[in-house]
Amino acid sequence: MQPNSTPALTEAETILGGALPHRRMEAWKWTDVRASLRQKQGLTNICTPEISVPEGIIVSRETIPAESTVMGAFAARFVTDCIVISTPENYKSDQPIRISGLGNGHARILIKLAKGAELSVVETHESDTASFINLDMQFDISEGAKLTRTIFHADHTDTTRIASSRINVQTDGEITQHMLSFGAGLSRFETRLTAQGKNVKVDIHGAYLLDEKRHVDMTSHIDLIDENAQIRQSVKGVITDKARGVFQGKFHVHRRAQFTDAEMRHDALMLSDTCEVRAKPELEIYADDVACAHGNTVGALDESALFYMRQRGIPASQARALLTQAFVAQAFESMADNTEFMTRISNWLEQRL
Amino acid sequence: MLKINNLTATVNDGAQTILNGLSLHIPAGEVHAIMGPNGAGKSTLSYVLTGKDGYDVTDGSVEYLGQDLLAMQPEERATAGMFLSFQYPLEIPGVPTMTFLRTALNAQRKSRGDKPMSAPDFLKKAREIASDLKIKPDMLKRPLNVGFSGGEKKRMEIFQMMMLEPKMIIMDETDSGLDVDALRIVADGVNALRGPERAMLIITHYQRLLDYIVPDRVHVLADGKIVASGDADFAKKLEAEGYDAYAA
Repeated sequence: MQPNSTPALTEAETILGGALPHRRMEAWKWTDVRASLRQKQGLTNICTPEISVPEGIIVSRETIPAESTVMGAFAARFVTDCIVISTPENYKSDQPIRISGLGNGHARILIKLAKGAELSVVETHESDTASFINLDMQFDISEGAKLTRTIFHADHTDTTRIASSRINVQTDGEITQHMLSFGAGLSRFETRLTAQGKNVKVDIHGAYLLDEKRHVDMTSHIDLIDENAQIRQSVKGVITDKARGVFQGKFHVHRRAQFTDAEMRHDALMLSDTCEVRAKPELEIYADDVACAHGNTVGALDESALFYMRQRGIPASQARALLTQAFVAQAFESMADNTEFMTRISNWLEQRL
Repeated sequence: MLKINNLTATVNDGAQTILNGLSLHIPAGEVHAIMGPNGAGKSTLSYVLTGKDGYDVTDGSVEYLGQDLLAMQPEERATAGMFLSFQYPLEIPGVPTMTFLRTALNAQRKSRGDKPMSAPDFLKKAREIASDLKIKPDMLKRPLNVGFSGGEKKRMEIFQMMMLEPKMIIMDETDSGLDVDALRIVADGVNALRGPERAMLIITHYQRLLDYIVPDRVHVLADGKIVASGDADFAKKLEAEGYDAYAA
């Protein structure tokens, strides 16, 4: 094969009608969809999400231009009518929008928060059988609007899931996002956020707990265009067996984005000798009066702390679970109610440690 | 209660012998002190007795309440009533002190076939003991030992000890990091636990602690074994004369 020639399409790519992201693309080097996608069935399916909305929310279908990404183009090829969920101005409700049924096929969802609206969205990404899911979401957060997004992910071990979100935030807009993932055969949750206005506040946290040969990739690209943005990002990983966790985070601080205050953290706990963690934190800064920090650690449980706990009578497995749970919990400290996440985490740990 | 016979332990895969034929018998109801120079093996003894990894017992035996102590897991030893007050208590990030202690207490009770202690009973007991030890209630809500001063950590060890009510108490340099007032508070707590069913092994560099917790027997540990023993007054003599006479 010539160095720059286009390789022949795989069987899956032929069905889809174009090349999938692969390891030679820098942004996809640890999540090789082309090599991993084994399914031949269901690649062109259209997903019908189950969406429940509180009173006052409008749900419609519209023709929206495709995203410029590879996976966005696939989604638009199979799903012409995008689901559009919108709020009136200054909308408020105690009830969240719930989105589930994202277990198979392509889907496109656009959620629009009008000026001053406050909205919670709870997403469940699950599959019981080997499936292919390509979800393309967009959130438009208008001036002074606040979005709280909660994402739970647990797929079949042979599922391939790509979930991409484009989030646009205007002046005084806020987003708080928490994600808990138990992985899939291959999965990627990509968040591309643009803070277009001033005083944008972003909290984007997550945790992944992976066993067997599961793979999750949490990738985020945050563009800060204007002044006074505050960004907090913390991702915690727990990996065992032959699982693989990927974290890619980038803050791109544009020239006008003075007084940006941004922090990015990724910490992973490796519980086996065969698991794998790949992390790439990136800062690209063009403004000169900003505070930007990033930190990344990978390690094992503290043996001395474990012995201390056992000396007090706590069985080794319980001590491990308690220490691990405390480590993961840091990602969900800022949630209004993290009970459900913490229960799922402790059940996961109980069964595996 | 505790019978140590000819105990020999090595580290680094046998490259270094730390305990070298140590024998010691502590009957129930007695308080024994072990003194000795740096590097004599005092902390190693406490770790071998509680089952920390990294030490190989190559000879000897330890019988605790009629059981083969060395065959037991660390948590089994704790459940059987063995407690170590650490020289350097560990920080447990993210686990509040009360959660930690309640988990430990109920894990021990479960292993012994007892019902878990109810939350109100546990809280009541914790508040009383914390007040005796002059520990502020908000410290009990914070992650265990995280950001505590050296003295606070030592006081927290005694707090845990009084909550768990162990039978065999090992205190490793409990006095270090404590000022005189704190030392008196800690000693009062320890003395309140003295009784016919309980034994204590106090490891210390200095005689000071033994003014507050008066031992029945004092031993000198040098080069991995007990080289001399005496009564409480013996500690004063050691403090005056130093350990040189006993070191190899």
